[in-house]
Amino acid sequence: MRAGLRHAVMCVLVVLMIYPLIWMLVSSFKPSNLVLSEPGLIPSEVTFDNYRDGWNALDEPFSLFFLNSLFVSVGSIVGNLFSCSLAAYALARLEFRGRRLYFAITLVSVMLPLHVLVVPQYIFFSQLGMVNTYFPLLLPKFLATDAFFTFLMVQFIRTIPRELDAAAWVDGAGPFRIFWSVILPLMTPALVTSAIFTFIWTWNDFFTPLIYLTSTEMFTVPVALNSMMSSETSSGVGALFAMSLLSLLPVLVFFVTAQKYLIRGISTTGLK
Amino acid sequence: MTQQTLVRPAAASPQPPRPRRRPPSFRRQGGAAHVFLLPFLLGLVLITAVPLLASLYLSFTDYDLLHDPELVGLDNFRRMAEDERFWASVGVTLRYVLVSVPLQLAFALLLAVVLDKGMRGLALYRSAFYLPSLLGSSVAIAILWRQLFGHEGLINAVLGWFGIEGESWLQNPDTALSTLVVLNVWTFGSPMIIFLAGLRQIPEELYEAARVDGAGRLRQFSSVTMPLLTPIIFFNLVLQTIGAFQAFTQAHIISGGQGGPLDSTLFYTLYLYQQGFQSFNMGYASAMAWVLLVVIAVVTAGHFLLSKYWVFYGDER
Amino acid sequence: MDLVTRRRFLQLVGLGAGMTAVAACGGGSDGTAIRYAWWGDTIRQQKYTAAIEEFVKQNPGIEVRPEFADYDAFQERITVQTAGRDVPDVFWIPSPHVMSYHDAGLYRRLDDISSLDLSQFPAEQLELYKIDGELNTLPRSVLTAAVRYNQTFLDEAGAELPPDDPQHWTWSGLQEFLIDYARDAPPGRKAIHYNAQADLCFEAWLRQHGQDLWTADGRMGFEPAALEGWFEWWEVLRRAGAATSLSEQEGASPEWEVVGDKVLMTFGNSNHIADEAPMFPDYEFNLRMMPVLPDAAPGHRFGYLSRIAIYQGIDDDKLDAAGKLVNFNINDPGFLRIVGLSVGAPANPRMLQEAYAVANEDEKKMLAVVEQEMAEEQRPRYEAPPGSGTWRTIMIRGVEEVALERASVSEAAARVIAEIDRELGQAK
Repeated sequence: MRAGLRHAVMCVLVVLMIYPLIWMLVSSFKPSNLVLSEPGLIPSEVTFDNYRDGWNALDEPFSLFFLNSLFVSVGSIVGNLFSCSLAAYALARLEFRGRRLYFAITLVSVMLPLHVLVVPQYIFFSQLGMVNTYFPLLLPKFLATDAFFTFLMVQFIRTIPRELDAAAWVDGAGPFRIFWSVILPLMTPALVTSAIFTFIWTWNDFFTPLIYLTSTEMFTVPVALNSMMSSETSSGVGALFAMSLLSLLPVLVFFVTAQKYLIRGISTTGLK
Repeated sequence: MTQQTLVRPAAASPQPPRPRRRPPSFRRQGGAAHVFLLPFLLGLVLITAVPLLASLYLSFTDYDLLHDPELVGLDNFRRMAEDERFWASVGVTLRYVLVSVPLQLAFALLLAVVLDKGMRGLALYRSAFYLPSLLGSSVAIAILWRQLFGHEGLINAVLGWFGIEGESWLQNPDTALSTLVVLNVWTFGSPMIIFLAGLRQIPEELYEAARVDGAGRLRQFSSVTMPLLTPIIFFNLVLQTIGAFQAFTQAHIISGGQGGPLDSTLFYTLYLYQQGFQSFNMGYASAMAWVLLVVIAVVTAGHFLLSKYWVFYGDER
Repeated sequence: MDLVTRRRFLQLVGLGAGMTAVAACGGGSDGTAIRYAWWGDTIRQQKYTAAIEEFVKQNPGIEVRPEFADYDAFQERITVQTAGRDVPDVFWIPSPHVMSYHDAGLYRRLDDISSLDLSQFPAEQLELYKIDGELNTLPRSVLTAAVRYNQTFLDEAGAELPPDDPQHWTWSGLQEFLIDYARDAPPGRKAIHYNAQADLCFEAWLRQHGQDLWTADGRMGFEPAALEGWFEWWEVLRRAGAATSLSEQEGASPEWEVVGDKVLMTFGNSNHIADEAPMFPDYEFNLRMMPVLPDAAPGHRFGYLSRIAIYQGIDDDKLDAAGKLVNFNINDPGFLRIVGLSVGAPANPRMLQEAYAVANEDEKKMLAVVEQEMAEEQRPRYEAPPGSGTWRTIMIRGVEEVALERASVSEAAARVIAEIDRELGQAK
């Protein structure tokens, strides 16, 4: 009975939460000019035009933008997991002068708004001739500039008892070995979380790709979607919805599969 | 303290033998540390520090992006003090931070705890609650939010059943900010996931030990879950606060970059963006950015100082 | 549970390094490759990309690299590019920044490029087009202020607009008509959108009062009384229930796709009909020029000419190609056939005639009303000076204050003028 009630409440909550998405889904099957003038949930006309038109909206099949976004997102994940875990381990576990300073700088770099850093960064990359490439989008990820994840991993590592390090040290392991064999496996939830968030944030990132990617075939999904919703006219709402929903799918799939690793958690043997 | 008695038993048996090697000296660990930190240090210099310092320099200049910057000393800061819209944006942002962060985190924690128990269809619920976050910064949000809160939106339709005639919540300066708070709470998926990850890391034996000691569900929650979750709560609190201070995309999308109506959704970073990219006052925008940084740093330092009183780390010596 | 083994880790690092290397390639090599930047929606992106392909076909050896974005995004990107001195070779100029970019030295002179033919433009027009005595931009299209009304609704009501002559088509005459219409209109329908933020229409009002939006020396050209009169005209309509409220129209700038079928009439630019009429395919829309004051100052008619330019810092060996591209844009009827008229009527007088051949029904109406307006006597108008880039958002705030009854008309007008003044003062 208790379980049934809980399920009922959850279902209501879920419906409330995703109602806008349901509306968007239904609207994507309405002809574009009816989407906003007939905002009900039951469409008077159903059409697949929005998906068809939206797919080729920018003269390229939308799959191109998916692939571009995928490349950037996966690259960013690799970069972040690599550089942030290394940095986090050093900041959380190793004793050295300047540890607190680096940690503070890490946090400070999260605090400055992007729009102010953009101009000097752009000048740097354009001097290198790297505009209209993916380099400005990926390089920062390999250099642990996403301090959010460094901080996240630091917090997770700090929940791992130091006795484990000590035990490995006793067995003759150096810092890298300890990092590799002891810490890294135990921070899997943090790694998976970072991967999920990196994927989603880079998938949805708009401003930086807008500035660095000038030719249409380099566009990532958000830049392409933004062009579909013009600020002057509002034509193409149906196509915008259709493509927005489609672009949700890879992220959702990634999220659902990555969840499994979150579920596994820590096996009890790790702590003994 | 009860917390320590619950944690110690599992880890403290058996006693480790005395280490055969000496603990590493500071210098030794320093070398290793800098190898680990190499990418970070490179990134710091190339991507972060130089633009950071450049923007600091710019905050003392008059820079319109089209000509070279011109030093003007403290003019930008003086202007800030007298700028009505600047103070308006400060007020909007403060209100947003104080209301939406606790609300969002409370929701996220509540649902994470509920979803952490074995429930059928768990993965489905988790994904469903995460979906809004995926859409949160999409261009389509403007239309969706109008669909809910607009003059002919769903909320007003529901109010209509009760005979109440509603106006557009988005066009009313008194309620527009609240719609953005709702948007932030709606996208609670990210902190929820982090809470879930944190909950997953709490070893099952601790719950078993507590049950053996006779603790009920609630007692288990307050003695096992909460203390061990505090580092994660702290993390979410610090970062969501920083994020709320910097909130931009959603206000930009929903107000069409205007911050209206009547500057009621003029977030600090939105005003900064307007000054930098529309009025071409990049020097002033940089000055605003540094003021924001100082404020966030102070608030974060406050968080860290207070954390001594309520955050419990498993690696404390 | 070991998600990552050492080997896998090294593989990932290798993969990452490889990706970064691949990522560094992207744009392609140089040659006579010229960059062309424009804005719009997806339809315009498709059409102009097709036009570029046609150009490339006609000019083998020239490569054109398109840089497209939506209007706001375009401005963001070009702002950053300008700071980085990395501006595209040929680019459209957003109206708020014509003078700022000139001040920054972004434009190259255009009257000494052999591949760029200026003979189809009347000499006086080109003379008027110069900035500070230099011909460094060229007109792409003409936009005029226009009144757009729903013919279907009129027919339903069996009504007719006041006759289009100086005695009847006046501001007060129109106001009376709209209030009348609203009184008998079906429920949920109003006579007009609250469009006090329509910039070209406001300028028309000012010019009829013998004033200007901007002066030749870069100052505001209007008095508070004119702005107050403008606000008051709208307020009369709103208070009489003839205009939609800001809430009903979802903002100071009405959301046409939501409330287009809730009104009989709307003020706007003549080219908007091309995009906005198809959103309500069941209705027929028509255009008219703005109503006129009985004692309007002479020469008040005007057209806004949108501009295109070549970057000052362009490589000399690309100049010829860039000239050809601009030539194609403004002189070639083939271009017009591919891209259509979404940006407005062509500025080239000969192309204007060709345009009728490619126009659809709605676009023909736009062309007619533009021709009508441009045939009349026009005294000069001046571009928005540096620092005026945000004048429209300042105006919108003023409109909100008035329409939401947070300030009186004179207070709001005074505040708008003071703010614009301040922004102008802060610019170089």
